[in-house]
Amino acid sequence: MSAQTRPMRRTLMTVILLTCGAVMLITAATFFAYEYLTFRQLTLRNLEILGKAIAANSTAALAFDNPDDAREVLSAFKAQPHVVAARLYVSDGRLIASYPDGATHAPAAPLPRKDGYRFEGGSLRGVQPVVQGGRRLGTLYLESDLGEIYEHFELFVMTGAAFMLVCCIAAYLISRRLQRVISQPLLALAATARQVSERRDYSVRAVKSAGQEFALLTDAFNHMLTRIEGDRTKLQSQLSRLDLLHRITRATGERQDLPSVFRVVLHALEEHMRLDFGCLCVYEASVEALSVAVIGPRSARFCSALALAERERVPIDENGLARCVGGELVYEPDTRDLKFPFPQRFTRAGLYALVVAPLLVEKRVFGVLVAARHAAQSFSSADCEFLRQLSEHVALGAHQAQLYGALQRAYDDLRQSQQAIMQQERLRALGEMASGIAHDINNAISPIALYTESLLEREPGLSERARGYLRIIQTAIEDVAETVARMREFYRAREAELVLSQVGCNRLIEQVVNLTRARWSDQPQQRGLVIQLHTDLAEHLPDIMGSEVEIRDALTNLIFNAVDAMPDGGTLTLRTRVVSSGPPGSANTVRQVTVEVSDTGVGMDEETRRRCLEPFYTTKGERGTGLGLAMVYGMVQRHSAELEIDSALRRGTTVRLIFAAADPLVLATTAGPRLPPPLRRLRILLVDDDPTLLQSLRDILEQDGHVVTVADGGQKGIDAFTAALLQGTPFALVITDLGMPYVDGRKVAAAIKATSAGTPVIMLTGWGRRLLADKEIPDHVDRVLSKPPRLQEVRAAIAELTPAADPATACSA
Amino acid sequence: MGLLTIIAPRALLRWAALLLLAGLAGAAAPVSEFQLKAVFLFNFAQFVDWPAAALPRAGAPFVIGVLGKDPFGALLDEVVQGETVNGHPFAIERYRDVTQIRACQILFIPASELTQLGEILTALKGHSVLTVTDADERAPRGVIIELLTRDNRIRLRIDLQAARASNLTISSKLLRPAEIVGAGS
Repeated sequence: MSAQTRPMRRTLMTVILLTCGAVMLITAATFFAYEYLTFRQLTLRNLEILGKAIAANSTAALAFDNPDDAREVLSAFKAQPHVVAARLYVSDGRLIASYPDGATHAPAAPLPRKDGYRFEGGSLRGVQPVVQGGRRLGTLYLESDLGEIYEHFELFVMTGAAFMLVCCIAAYLISRRLQRVISQPLLALAATARQVSERRDYSVRAVKSAGQEFALLTDAFNHMLTRIEGDRTKLQSQLSRLDLLHRITRATGERQDLPSVFRVVLHALEEHMRLDFGCLCVYEASVEALSVAVIGPRSARFCSALALAERERVPIDENGLARCVGGELVYEPDTRDLKFPFPQRFTRAGLYALVVAPLLVEKRVFGVLVAARHAAQSFSSADCEFLRQLSEHVALGAHQAQLYGALQRAYDDLRQSQQAIMQQERLRALGEMASGIAHDINNAISPIALYTESLLEREPGLSERARGYLRIIQTAIEDVAETVARMREFYRAREAELVLSQVGCNRLIEQVVNLTRARWSDQPQQRGLVIQLHTDLAEHLPDIMGSEVEIRDALTNLIFNAVDAMPDGGTLTLRTRVVSSGPPGSANTVRQVTVEVSDTGVGMDEETRRRCLEPFYTTKGERGTGLGLAMVYGMVQRHSAELEIDSALRRGTTVRLIFAAADPLVLATTAGPRLPPPLRRLRILLVDDDPTLLQSLRDILEQDGHVVTVADGGQKGIDAFTAALLQGTPFALVITDLGMPYVDGRKVAAAIKATSAGTPVIMLTGWGRRLLADKEIPDHVDRVLSKPPRLQEVRAAIAELTPAADPATACSA
Repeated sequence: MGLLTIIAPRALLRWAALLLLAGLAGAAAPVSEFQLKAVFLFNFAQFVDWPAAALPRAGAPFVIGVLGKDPFGALLDEVVQGETVNGHPFAIERYRDVTQIRACQILFIPASELTQLGEILTALKGHSVLTVTDADERAPRGVIIELLTRDNRIRLRIDLQAARASNLTISSKLLRPAEIVGAGS
C-alpha cells in the first residue's frame, strides 16, 4: 500500500493490460489485413459484376449505335457514388457515352488497351469488354475511387478502436480485481519478510492465503524462516560458546599457576554455562584416586551435601570415573539411575545431570572436570561437546602452567647453579690470593712460634705471668696458623679432613669472650654504647668431639654478628646446656650439648632468615663479607652438628649450635709425657730466602746443640752443601724452603740427592699444609713441615730421619 | 491512323474501320443509310431467339432474305461475309416476289414492297421469320421491326404482337432502345 509496493501492483496491471492490448492489436491487425484483402477483392468483384451487368445492358446500345440508350445505361452508376467515371466505346474505339454526363464534352479519353480490373494509382479501374453472342461490340471503361474501401475501413477502425477501448477498460477493471489475488499474498509475504528483517524476529510466520502456489510459497517461506531461526539460534549459542571458550582460554593463558587457572575456568562455567556445580580434580595415578583441586566459587554450597572438599580424594570406582580417567567424556543424564557411590552423592545433593570430562594432555589424563546441574537431562549434546572442547583447552592451559612452573624451576636452578659457579670462582680467586697471603703470614709468624715455644721450654726462670702470656701468644699464633690454613679452604672443593679432639665448650667460650673483648666492650664504649655480656654456662658440661679452632672461630663470628646486630647497645648472652633424650641412664641415652649466642638486636626478617646462610649474603653493606654465617654453617656441617636460628624483627636473634656429646668413657688421648730429644749434635744446612726465619730457626737448632749452616738462597745452599762435602764435613740434614727465587726447594732437594743420596731433606714451607693435605710430597724430599714450624715437630723429624748418628755428620761436642 | 492498327483483321471490323473512316472523313465518305441497315440486319440475329424448328439444321446457313428490289446491293453480303451465328454461317437470299420467298430467318422488306404486305404476311404465316422493314411512319402493322430514320439516325420500332405471332423472342436488350408497339393487345 505504500509507495514502495505500488510499482508491483502497477506492473501487474500493466502486464495484464499490455497483454490484452497486444493480443487485441494482433487480432485487429490480422482482421484488418484479412478484411483489407478480402474487401479489396470484394470491391473489385463488385465493380466487375457491375461492369459486367452494365456491359450486358449496353450491348444493344452499342449494337444499334444508340448513344442515348448508352447514356441511360451508364446513368445507372448514379446509384454507385464511388464510380467516378464510366465510358462506353464501340469496337472501333469511338466513345459513345460517358458518365457523368458532363464528361461527354470533356476531351475523349483514349480507349484503354487492356481488359480486366485492377487498382491503379489511387483508384480502381476496370476495362470490361461488351460482348453479345460471342461478338465484341465495344468496351466499357470504369473508374471507381477507393472511398468505399476507405469508408469501410474508417468504420472498421472506429469500431475496432471502440472495441479495444471497451476491452481495455474491461481488462483494467478485471486486472484491478485480479491483481489483488496475486499481489495481496505477495505483499503479505513481503510485509512478513520486512518484519523479520527489521525486527530480526525469525519467529514471525506468514499467514497462508488461498491458492495452491501461494500456499506452497508461504509454506516454503515459513519453512525457511523456521530453518533460519533454528540456524540462528544454533549459531548464536555456538558463537557465545566460542566466545566463552575464547575468554576462558585467554584467562587461562594469562595465568601460570594451576589453581588460579582452574578457578577462572570454574567461575566462567558457573557464570555462562549455568552450572549448578563444577569442580576440577587432579588424577593421582599412583593411588588410583582423584584429588579435588578446585571447587567453583558458587559450587561451594554443595560441598557438604556432596561430601567433597578441596584436596579431598575420591577413589576411582568401576563407573563413570574410571571411564573418564580412561579418556572418555562421561555424561550421566540422570544420576538417580546409577548405583555407584560417586553419582549417588550427586543424587543426594539434588544434582541429577552429571558430566565428567577428562583433561587430556598428549593422550594422558591428568585430571577431570566435573559439571552438574539440578535438572536431569539438562546437558545437550552441544553442552557436552563444549565441555569436551573446553576441557581440552583447560588441559592444555594447565599443562602449559605446569610446563611454565617446571621451566621456572629449571631456570631458578640454573641461576642458582650459575651463582654457585660464580661464587666458587670468586672463592677460588680468593683462595689463591689467600694462600699467597697465608704463605707470607706463615713465614712471618714462624719466628714468633719458634721463639715462644723455645722460651717456654728453655726458660724455667720465667714468672708465671710471663709464662701465661707466652702461652696466649702460642695459642694466638696457632690460631693464626689455623685461620690462615682455613682461608685456603674456601678454594678447596674437597673438605679438609677434620682432626677431631675433645673440646670443652665452656672453656672455649671463656677464651672467645677474652679474644673478642675489644669488639663487644671497647669499641661500643668508644661510641658511648653499652653491650652487656652474660654467660650462662652449664656445670659438668660434657666435652664434644670437634675442632677447637673451628668452633672457636665460629663462636667469634657469632659474637661479631650479635654485636653488629645491636647498634644501639643491648644484651649479649652466651649459654651452654646439656640436653638428654631417651631414657636417662640407659645405654641409648643421647646427650647433646647446645651452645647459644643470643642478642637483643634488630633481628632478621623472613627473607634474611632464609638466606642468611648463603655465602656472600650480607646485610652489613661494605662492612660485611657475607662469609661469617656461611663459615659457621660449614663448621656445623663438618661436625655433623645442628644449627638453629630463632629470630624476630626488633627482638633479637638466637643462634643455637647443637653438638653430640662425646662419649665420656673415651679418655683423652693426649700425647704422653714428652721425652726430651736425644742430644745429638748434627751438622744441619738451612736454606731459606727469609733471613728472619733463618735466624730464628738457627737459634733454636743451635740451642739444641746442632751445628747450623745457613744459606739465604737455593743456589747458595747447593754450593754450601757441595763445598762441605768436598771439605769432608758433610751435612747430616738439609732443611730447605720451597718457594725461593731462581732455585727453589725442589731443585735444591734434587741437587742434594744427586750429590748425596743418603742425606735426608726436610722441606719447611708456608705451603706445607697444603702439600700435606694434597699428599703432594715433592720428589727427593723426605719430610714436609709446615710453617710456622713447631719445635716439637722439627725435633721429631730430625730424630726420625737421622736414626743412627752418622759419625761423619755428627759433630763432636 | 493509329486506330487502324488496333482493329481486328476481321471483315466486320474492316467494315467498322471503313465506317469509322467514313464517319471521320465526314462528307468525304458518309456512311450510307443502307450500310447501317445492313449491319442492323446482321445484328438482329444476335438479339432474337428463333424457335428450334425455325433454325436451320446444323451446318446449314442462317438465311437473311431480301424481298424485291435489293437496296443494299453488295453491302449486305459484305457485312455477313465470314460471320456466323450460333455456328451457322450467314447466307443472303434475294426474292423477287412473294412466291419466291423460301425458308429464311430474317426477311427484309424494303418500303417499296410494302404494298404487297398482306400477301407477304400471309405467306409467312406459321413461319418464324423476323420481318424487317425500313418504311417510315406510314408503315402498316404486321412487320415486326421497322427501321425508322429520325434526326438523321436510324431508330427501331418493334411490334411485339407480331413477334409473338411469329413465335419469336426478342431480347429485352433490343427492346430497350426501340419504340414498342402492339404490346397491349
